[in-house]
Amino acid sequence: MAENNDGITSVTYSEVGTGSVTRASFGAMCEGCSGAIDDSAKPKGGDLVEAGCSAPVTADPAVARPLDLTGSDSGPSLQCAVTLSASSLLAMNSPQMLYALCEFSLRRASVSADRMPLNLALVVDCSTSMQGARIGYLKAALLDLLDGLQAGDRLSVIAYSDRATVAAESTFVTEKRKLAGAIANLTTGGGTEIYQGLVAGLRQVRRYARDFRRNHVILLTDGRTYGDEEACLAEARTARREDVSISALGIGNDWNDVFLDALARQGGGICRFVKDPSKTSELLALHIRGIAHAPLSEVALSVRLPAWARLQSAFRVEPFLETLELVQGEPYSMGVLDSGTLSLVFELIVQQPVAGDWRFAHLVFEGRIGEEQVSLRRDLGVRMTEGDPMPGTLPARLLSAVARLNVFRLQERAWQKLELGDVVEASWLLESAASRLSEMGESDLAHETMAEARRLESDGVPSLRGQKEIRYGTRFLPLR
Amino acid sequence: MMEKSGSIVCPSCQYVNLPGTLFCLRCGTYLPSGGPLRTEPFEEQQLERAARYGPDLAELDARTTGIEVEVLETNRKVLLSADSEILVGRLDAAHGVFPELDLTSDGGLEQGISRRHARMYAHEGKWYIEDLDSTNGTFINDELLASYVPMIFSDGDVLTLGSLRLRVKVYCGESSLR
Repeated sequence: MAENNDGITSVTYSEVGTGSVTRASFGAMCEGCSGAIDDSAKPKGGDLVEAGCSAPVTADPAVARPLDLTGSDSGPSLQCAVTLSASSLLAMNSPQMLYALCEFSLRRASVSADRMPLNLALVVDCSTSMQGARIGYLKAALLDLLDGLQAGDRLSVIAYSDRATVAAESTFVTEKRKLAGAIANLTTGGGTEIYQGLVAGLRQVRRYARDFRRNHVILLTDGRTYGDEEACLAEARTARREDVSISALGIGNDWNDVFLDALARQGGGICRFVKDPSKTSELLALHIRGIAHAPLSEVALSVRLPAWARLQSAFRVEPFLETLELVQGEPYSMGVLDSGTLSLVFELIVQQPVAGDWRFAHLVFEGRIGEEQVSLRRDLGVRMTEGDPMPGTLPARLLSAVARLNVFRLQERAWQKLELGDVVEASWLLESAASRLSEMGESDLAHETMAEARRLESDGVPSLRGQKEIRYGTRFLPLR
Repeated sequence: MMEKSGSIVCPSCQYVNLPGTLFCLRCGTYLPSGGPLRTEPFEEQQLERAARYGPDLAELDARTTGIEVEVLETNRKVLLSADSEILVGRLDAAHGVFPELDLTSDGGLEQGISRRHARMYAHEGKWYIEDLDSTNGTFINDELLASYVPMIFSDGDVLTLGSLRLRVKVYCGESSLR
């Protein structure tokens, strides 16, 4: 097992077979075994499980390689830094919590300056509530976006209210005049039925999806849809399977953040809060840059655990906070990875009474760089000791990550309690979140959160704006 | 192998957390140490010590029942009863510091508030404030208090703890409180 000065404990190997390791002792594993998790292996009380590694562990000997105990990835493109809350735990027959921060990033050589051509659809809310300054700012933002797109990009524009109209069929952006004309001619009137617009937008993107690596729908709305939410979510799931992603920009205070969050999550995209309509242009530009320059796409993560470890929860913490609904062994689609880092936190409950070096998780991280399929497989290990382990310093970066998700989770729980009618608990949770934010130095957001807690206490209802400020403010807290 | 529970009871809400938990799963309190601990001292300032107030400077009704404290930086107002001593500072659950007037959410850490910064209490119709050897001091209307020397404050006075200013309004009779 490799352990560096930061107390990071990890073992990396480049390929994994389908055998079994009956004792997760890394010293024994290095003896010609490529290793894999045997979920059925359970330690017998007081006895060490036999150290025998079955070999060969894969039907294809060419695939199996010896373990790399140096901690370096043999894959050329991806790397992963792992930080644990403790590298040693007391071996005991009762559960204890362990946190793992996993930071995936591309090796410098893999980060290409090339921008991927985009196949884009804009689904624009043109309901009555958008009239006036809102549609004005939005049109200006869409024209700016059009200016920023490049030859090779495709764009379509769909206007929707209580029905959908294709204002501009999918066209190469070299036909700028036609697209700009369609944007300028957007008018408002009617209700809000997102489903019609979404389906129309997806239809436009799907026509040319095979020719592009980046197929994306952006939904822009200031309101709420009624009765078609489930249909929209089903469309988003289908689109994601086809590698067509969907993101949402909610403008102002009145849109349904729970629904748009779910839509973006199911659609493999992101939901953003445009609190100031004059900032729409800026946010759209940021969003497009992230998609177009993302060198790694079709990112998927899977986790496997032994019987004595359980995944309590998993979160993406960078570039934004998101709860991950991971199911053990099943790939979880995470969309694209831009040139920055994808940071994940796993909260695990482990119960291991036998001393020794144990692997508590196996991660598989996969994606595509251009035409190349890449993957990284990583074991996470911990040492169980018979005596109390030496206390160590909690790594600052892990603490920062867990502190952020702590606040994120407190405010999410507050809104859930409010949905159930428990105003007192919701207010208390927001107060707790405010205190944590204050301790983190996030004064503005702390004040906003405390104000919302007080408003709940006195009025029983939150402000729409405050709720969104807190939800999206905590989601995008920077990892220090 | 040892059989050991090692559960962590949250000092804030008493929720029982598993060993190794960093933040209480119920209330989010930081369990290893209760949050930021250190109060950074401001740079040295030369200030006159406050003179003791004589009894003729504080004419308060013997029926004084409470005070309203307004945090001037945040406009937050808190009503406090005279029934018991009021600890003023920053919450630190892990070390059992639970101030009645918790200034954490008012930017307490940045404004130089110590966890146990000062205490206030009413005695024989008068209100006192006593600095508890805080890092950045306590002032009544810009006059620095000596540590552990209670000083009387009056209705309308501005108390400065660290760099956080609190205006106090003293209530008499039936008008309070927490």
